[in-house]
Amino acid sequence: MIRPPRSIFTRLAGAAILLSLVLLAGLWWLTQVSVGATLQEAARAQVDVDLAGLVDIYATGGQAELQARINDRIALIPAEGNAPHYLLANDRGERIAGDLRKWPLLDPAVSESGVIAIGEGARAHARAVQLGPDLRLVVARSADLEAPVLASITTAFAAGGAVFVALVALLGRFAAHGLARRIARINLAFREPQDAASLAAAGRTDGDEIDELAANSASALVRVNDLVAAYKDTSEQIAHEIRTPLSHLDNRLVKALASQPAPAVAERLAEARAEIRRIVQTLESLLDIAASKAHRGDRSGLAPVDLSALVTGICELYAGSAEEAGLTLDWTIAPGVEIKGDARQLRRLVTNMLDNAIKYVPSGGRVAVTLEPGPVLVVADDGPGIDPCDRERIFERFYRGRALGEETSGSGLGLALARAIAERHGLALTLEEPLAGGPGGAVFVIAAAS
Amino acid sequence: MRILYVEDDPRVAAMVGDILSASGDVLVWEASGSAALLRAGMEPFDVIILDRMLGDIDGLTITRRLREGGIGTPILILSALGRSSDRADGLDGGADDYLAKPFEPEELVARLRALHRRASGREHSAVILYGAFECHVKARTAFRENRHLALSPKEFELFRYFMENAGEVVTREMLLHHVWKMDFDPQTNVVDVNIGRLRRKLEDGFDRPALETILGSGYRLLDGRP
Repeated sequence: MIRPPRSIFTRLAGAAILLSLVLLAGLWWLTQVSVGATLQEAARAQVDVDLAGLVDIYATGGQAELQARINDRIALIPAEGNAPHYLLANDRGERIAGDLRKWPLLDPAVSESGVIAIGEGARAHARAVQLGPDLRLVVARSADLEAPVLASITTAFAAGGAVFVALVALLGRFAAHGLARRIARINLAFREPQDAASLAAAGRTDGDEIDELAANSASALVRVNDLVAAYKDTSEQIAHEIRTPLSHLDNRLVKALASQPAPAVAERLAEARAEIRRIVQTLESLLDIAASKAHRGDRSGLAPVDLSALVTGICELYAGSAEEAGLTLDWTIAPGVEIKGDARQLRRLVTNMLDNAIKYVPSGGRVAVTLEPGPVLVVADDGPGIDPCDRERIFERFYRGRALGEETSGSGLGLALARAIAERHGLALTLEEPLAGGPGGAVFVIAAAS
Repeated sequence: MRILYVEDDPRVAAMVGDILSASGDVLVWEASGSAALLRAGMEPFDVIILDRMLGDIDGLTITRRLREGGIGTPILILSALGRSSDRADGLDGGADDYLAKPFEPEELVARLRALHRRASGREHSAVILYGAFECHVKARTAFRENRHLALSPKEFELFRYFMENAGEVVTREMLLHHVWKMDFDPQTNVVDVNIGRLRRKLEDGFDRPALETILGSGYRLLDGRP
């Protein structure tokens, strides 16, 4: 299975993990804040309740009773560790009872409350009251008690969050894997259309969007397969039904030639046989064009081809013929240029380009073939060039250049077939403007289609 | 040669029968693929000619079954499907040669001879001798009357193919297919020109011709003896 470089499902799973992390962090922060506030509030309330009890005791039992109770309470260490702190002092702030050393910055006259320091950086909620003209009391409870609670909340969040994120990741991975597999199945069917039937069989009619996509893809691919099969059948039938009778006709001509007719008759018979050959070649070229067009963009059945060796071999083959036609054929081939292709068809393509050049460039001319990595194959000549209004038409079927008049040989399919073969390989065959100040002939370029 | 011919069109069969009886070969004709398979399994043949589009089993399937059945007789497919992709299908499918209808009678005869000769093993020898010519296949060197012939790599390929088919007609199509791997006829006279160059190298400094042009069909290597 070929994996796409960037899977949408990996990204979706990643986004889900990130989102859950952000949500968890937000929830943790809210919990921290509200738990902290609640604990502070509870400490303040405890201080007030404690203070109210002590004021009552003072009112009913007097200072001695109050001092005794304060000492009792200091001695009693509560289980939760939130020990209260007291300071009973005279009006100058000097300690009478309690465990606090120094009178805090709280005004007992207005029963001021606030956070005070109780030594070694510890803080406490406290409230002070004026009990009598020379008696004041402060009650305090630690304000730092929320720290361990908040720490355990953080620990709980971290542990729970880790499990949660792991679950999200696992679930995301599982879901993504399932979806990716289903999408991959559709992609595979497009890459290997002959297996489209299995995709259709696997699709469910009551499924989700992906099932619908799979079903639609399958039916489209089945239709393409049917069309390709019908095209192949038809072209084989046409070839068979035309070639067979032509074969009989040719055989009759061969027999007539064997009966040693008059030279003039023999010449006509030979011409008739040549005509049959041309019909067959035209038919073949038309079917080849159709086949190349039918396989356009289809990379199946293509294998690596050493284009450098292929083009060099054909140039060498044509060198003698070019020389006999009075032309200079030069070739500059970059070594090791490879392409995924059909070697037979590529030979046909290059051959057609050289046939075309040799046919249309007059004696004394020059044809230059260059191959560069890419691949970029250029067949340029210094012949008469091509009329601007014919630039696209020369690639049409049955179009022949006017330069050579009626007697021009060939089927008029050479460039059309060359272009169809180029397109089947994902290449474009174009006629480029000749270089300004250059020889000014035709410049054919075969390069990757843009 | 004893040839098995499988063809469901009696008119084509009669035509091929005429050609091959004129060349002195024995032709056994079968009109159906199944009968041909049966016969090919029982009797020895030098070459088998197969049509592709038969009524019952197609020629490519027959080729595969024969090869699977261990029958290595050279097979030539003679078909109305003549595009180069059709040829590739046939050759990749185990056939030894492929000829499209309509064809030159001489082409068919030449190819059958070449197939038969190749099957008889002359091709595999390291040195091929014919008349005054020597072809050292491994060393890729050529001699005429013990004089070294300076051939380019492609010219050597051409010469070697002529040596493998020495004394027989070699057609343009055969040369294009075997030497240049082309299954179509280029519009330019490339074969004739390249043969002309080879001919000059084979004949330069000798009195007797080396290559004979057979009008309308191809070439034949002569023994070149003084």
